[in-house]
Amino acid sequence: MFDKRYIENFDWWLFFSVLGIMAIGFINLNSASAATGYHFQYKQLQWYTVGLAVMFLVMCFDYHVIPSIALHIWVGIVILLVLVLFIGKSVGGSQRWLSLGFMRLQPSELAKICIVMVLSSWFYKDEREQYRIRDLGVPMLLTLIPAVLIHRQPDLGTSLLLIALFASIVYVAGIRWTSVIIVFSGVMAAMPLVWKYLKPYQRKRIESFLNPESDPFGAGYHVIQSKIAVGSGQFTGMGYMKGSQAQLKFLPEVHTDFAFSVWSEEWGFVGDMVLLSLFTILLVRGIAIAQDSKEPFGTYLAFGITAMIFWQMVVNLGMVMGLLPVVGVPLPLVSYGGSSVLTTMIGIGLLLNVRARRFMFH
Amino acid sequence: MRLSAIRAVLNVKKFGPEDQGARQGLCAGAYVLIFFAMSIIVARLWYLQIIEGETNRKKAEDNRLRVVRLQPPRGKILDRNGRLLAGVKPCFNVCIVRKDVRNMEELLGRLLPLLNEPEGPVRVRLKNSLQQPSYLPAVIKRDADWDEISRIEARLPELSGVVIEVTPGRKYPYGSIAPHLLGYIGELSQADIDANRFPGARPGDLVGKYGVEARFQPQLAGIKGERKLEVDSRMMLRRVVSEVPPVAGDDIYLTIDADLQMAAEDGLGDEVGAVVALEPDTGRILAMASTPKFDPEAFARGVTTEEWKVLNDPLYRPMRNKAIQEAYAPGSTFKIIMGAAALQEHVVDESTRFFCNGSFKLGRRTFRCWDWRGHGQTDIYKAIVQSCDVYFYNVGLKLGVDRIGKYARGFGLGQRTGIDLPGEQRGLIPTREWKLKRFHEPWQKGETLNISIGQGFVLTTPIQMASVIAAVANGGDIYEPRFVEKIKGPDASEIQHFTPVKKGHIPVSERNLGIVKNALKGVVQDKRGTARRCRIKGIEVAGKTGTAQVIRQARRRQSEKMAWKYRDHAWFVAYAPADAPQIAVAVLIEHGGHGGSAAAPVARMVIERWFQLMAPKPVIKRQINADAIPVISKPGFIKAKNV
Repeated sequence: MFDKRYIENFDWWLFFSVLGIMAIGFINLNSASAATGYHFQYKQLQWYTVGLAVMFLVMCFDYHVIPSIALHIWVGIVILLVLVLFIGKSVGGSQRWLSLGFMRLQPSELAKICIVMVLSSWFYKDEREQYRIRDLGVPMLLTLIPAVLIHRQPDLGTSLLLIALFASIVYVAGIRWTSVIIVFSGVMAAMPLVWKYLKPYQRKRIESFLNPESDPFGAGYHVIQSKIAVGSGQFTGMGYMKGSQAQLKFLPEVHTDFAFSVWSEEWGFVGDMVLLSLFTILLVRGIAIAQDSKEPFGTYLAFGITAMIFWQMVVNLGMVMGLLPVVGVPLPLVSYGGSSVLTTMIGIGLLLNVRARRFMFH
Repeated sequence: MRLSAIRAVLNVKKFGPEDQGARQGLCAGAYVLIFFAMSIIVARLWYLQIIEGETNRKKAEDNRLRVVRLQPPRGKILDRNGRLLAGVKPCFNVCIVRKDVRNMEELLGRLLPLLNEPEGPVRVRLKNSLQQPSYLPAVIKRDADWDEISRIEARLPELSGVVIEVTPGRKYPYGSIAPHLLGYIGELSQADIDANRFPGARPGDLVGKYGVEARFQPQLAGIKGERKLEVDSRMMLRRVVSEVPPVAGDDIYLTIDADLQMAAEDGLGDEVGAVVALEPDTGRILAMASTPKFDPEAFARGVTTEEWKVLNDPLYRPMRNKAIQEAYAPGSTFKIIMGAAALQEHVVDESTRFFCNGSFKLGRRTFRCWDWRGHGQTDIYKAIVQSCDVYFYNVGLKLGVDRIGKYARGFGLGQRTGIDLPGEQRGLIPTREWKLKRFHEPWQKGETLNISIGQGFVLTTPIQMASVIAAVANGGDIYEPRFVEKIKGPDASEIQHFTPVKKGHIPVSERNLGIVKNALKGVVQDKRGTARRCRIKGIEVAGKTGTAQVIRQARRRQSEKMAWKYRDHAWFVAYAPADAPQIAVAVLIEHGGHGGSAAAPVARMVIERWFQLMAPKPVIKRQINADAIPVISKPGFIKAKNV
C-alpha cells in the first residue's frame, strides 16, 4: 500500500510552514493566556497534536474516495448545524457549540472544510467546461443551506466565508465572465435588502467599522483598541508578554479573534513579517498543489482548501487592523479553538494528500 | 498496488490538454490575488506600526497610565514674629476624568444635583479643561464642603469618571488681614493661559493674582509632583509606575506685625482710607491697611458677578490698595516740607514772623486761613503747631514754585517710593513746565499759594507721606519701604534676607530739621496744637495734621453738613517717641473731615498699640497673682480694677 513516492512527493515547505505557524500560535497564546488567566496555550498544544495526527491520517487514504461520500458529508454537517440551533451551547449571544462531553465541537468550523469537499465533488462529477448561472443551482443550494443555518446562530462571518468558498471553487471550475458580471451587479442590488435582514448588533458593527470613533465605548471599542495594539508594536514590538493593550485587558478576545493583535503588539512589524511569510509560503504551496494536480478533483480540492485558509486570514487580519468590520473569523492555527485547528489540519492533510498522489497519472 | 485499478474503481478523470492552459491561467490569477492581499496587509501594518506607530503607542499609554497631580503645599505667609497670616488647609475638589466618561451629559445630569454649584461655571471649567489630556482630572468644583463630598462619595460607583482630589488650599487664621498686601489666589483663567502668565500651571490650579501672592508666586507655588499609575481596562490599579513628590513652596516672612495691622484696621473701622506704619530707621512696613477690605477666600472659591460689582464699587473701591494706588492732596501735612524748605533757603529763620488776620490778599484775590479769626503774629513754630495758612502763603510766595518743587522731590514726593508691589502711583509735584504742557497756560502765583498749603495740583500717596514723616523722624534718610523680611525654604533654611535700602537724604540741615521737629512735637503736645487728640500718656508723639479739600468751596462750611463724598480728606502723619522715633505713621481717611479729629485718633491707636507690644510684659508675676486671688465674679469690681 505504501509507496515511497509518497515520501518523495511530500511537500516539506508546506509542512514546515504549518509547523512554524503552530509554533508562533503557541508562543502567542502563552502570552494571551497570561493576560486572561486561563491556560489556553496547553489545550491548544493538545489540539495541535491531535491535528497533526488527523493530518497524517487524512494523508493515508486516497482523496478520490471523497466524491463518493460527499453526500454523506453534506447531510452530516447539515444535521450537526441543525442540532446546534436546538441543543447548542450559547456563549456571548451566539449559539455555536455542541457539547460532546470531552470537547465542545463547533460545527460551523467543520462546515468550512466540508463545503470545500462537497463543492469540489459536485463540480468534479458535473464536469462542464464553463458554467453559467443557471448551471449553478445545485451547488448554490448546497452552500446556502449550511450558510443560512450558520447565520441563524448567528455567525455572519462564517456564513459569508462559505459563500466566498463557493465563489472560489466556481472560479477554478470555470465560469463565464458575463455570469460574473451579472452576479456581481445582482449582489450590489441586493445589498439594501441584506442590510434590512441583518441583526441590530451586526448593523452596529458595520456602522462602527465605517466610523469607529462615533462610539468609542460601544461597538467601535474593539477595533480602536486593536488598532492601538497593532500600531504600538512599532518596528520591533513592545517585547514578549509586555504588550500593555493585551496584558491590561484593553484588547478583547486576545486568545481568539484578536490573537494577531497580541502578536503584533509584542513582536512589532518584524514579527508580523515572519508570520505573514509563513502564511504566504503555505498559500503559495497550496495553489501550486492545485496547479500541479493532474486531474480536476485534486485541483478543486486544493484550490478550495487554500481559499479557505486565505479568506479566513484576510478577513481576520482585515478585522484586527480596522480594514474590515468585526466578524468572528479566526486566524487559522493562531487563534485558539479545537474545531478550527482540526478543520485547518484536515485541509492541510488533504493538500498533502493531493500533492503526494499526483504521480498516479504518470 | 495498481494505480489503474484504483482509477477504475474511483473513475478518476484526467485533465485534457486544453484544460491545462485554462487551469494555469486561473492559478496565476490566484497568485496575483495572494500577492495583492499580502501587499495591502503589509502596507496597512506599515501605516499602523511605522507611520502611526508613535501615535498608537501614545494612545496605548493614555489607556494604561493615569497621572495623579501631587499639588505642593503653597508657601505660607507670616508676619515679622512668625505668626501665620496665610496658611494651608486640605481642599477637596470634585474632578472629572474625561477619558473615563461614557456619556458626559448623562454624568452631569447625575452629578449636578449633588453639587451646590450652578451649572454655568461647571460647564465653563469643563470647557477650559478640553485643552489638557483627557486622562488628567479636570476640577469642576473647588473646595467642596463635607455635605457635597459625602453625597458624591456615596454614589461614586454610578459616577464613572468622577474623582475627588485633595489639594492644598489657603487658610487665613486671622481672617481677612491686610488683604491688599497679602493679595489673593484664584483659579488660572483662560486669559492667563493665553498670555502664558504662569508657566507650568494647568487649568484648575490656584495662582497668586494680587499682592504678595502674585509678587512671590514663583517662590510660593513650589514644584508640582506627579504620580503615574498603571491601570487595566476596568480602571483597577496595577502598579505605581513612578512618583515625583511635590516640593512645598517657600515661606514669606513679612515685616508687618499682625497685632499692629489689626490695630490699624480696627482704627480705620468703617471709614474709607489707609494707614501706613513704618520703622523710621529701616523703611520696614509695620502695618499697611486699606479699607474697605475684601475677603481673599472668596477669590479661591470663585467670585460671583454680584460680588464683583461690590468689589469694584466706584465710590469705595475695595480692590484698590489706597496706601499706594491712590493719590490725594496732602493738605497741611505738606507744611512740614514747606517749613523745612523755607528755613533751608533762608527765606525765614526761627524768629521771622508774619501777621495773620485770617486772610491773605494777592492782587484782587483773597486767600483765607482755615481759622477766620486769624492767628496774629506767627513764627514758624506757631505756624506749624496751629497750621496757619497765611504764614505759608507768605513763605510760598517767597520760595516760588520751582524751589517748592525741588524740596518736595527731595523728600521723595512726585515719584514712586519703590515699594515692590504693582500699581504704585507717582503722585504729582507740579512745575511750570508741567502746567504749560498739561494746560497750555503759564503758572499763576495763586497756584503757588495753593500748593503752599498742600492743595491745588499737589498729589501724594499715603505711603509717600509715611516715607516723608519717617525721613523727618530718622534725621533725613529716605528708605525704600519694604514689606518682606526674609524668605525661608520648606526646610526652614533662609533663602533670602532683605536688608534696608537707603534711597537718599533730604536736602535739609540737621539744625533746620530740628526746628521743624520741635514744632511737630508741639502739634501734639502744645495746648493749642491741632493734634491734641493724639496725645498718649507717657509717650511723646510728634506729627502734623492735614485736611485736603475735595471740592472748591466759595465759603468754608462745616464738613459734617455736606454730603459724604464732598467732605474733606483727613490726614495725619506722626512719629513717636519724638526724641528717639521707633514708629512713623501716615493716616488718610477719605472724606473724614478734619485731620485732627478724624485721622489723629487712628494714628494714636496704632502708636499706642505699638508701644504696648514693645513693652516688656510681666507675665509670670501676673499669673502668680491670679492664682492667689480668689476669682471674683462681680463685674463692677473687675472693671474698676482694670481702670
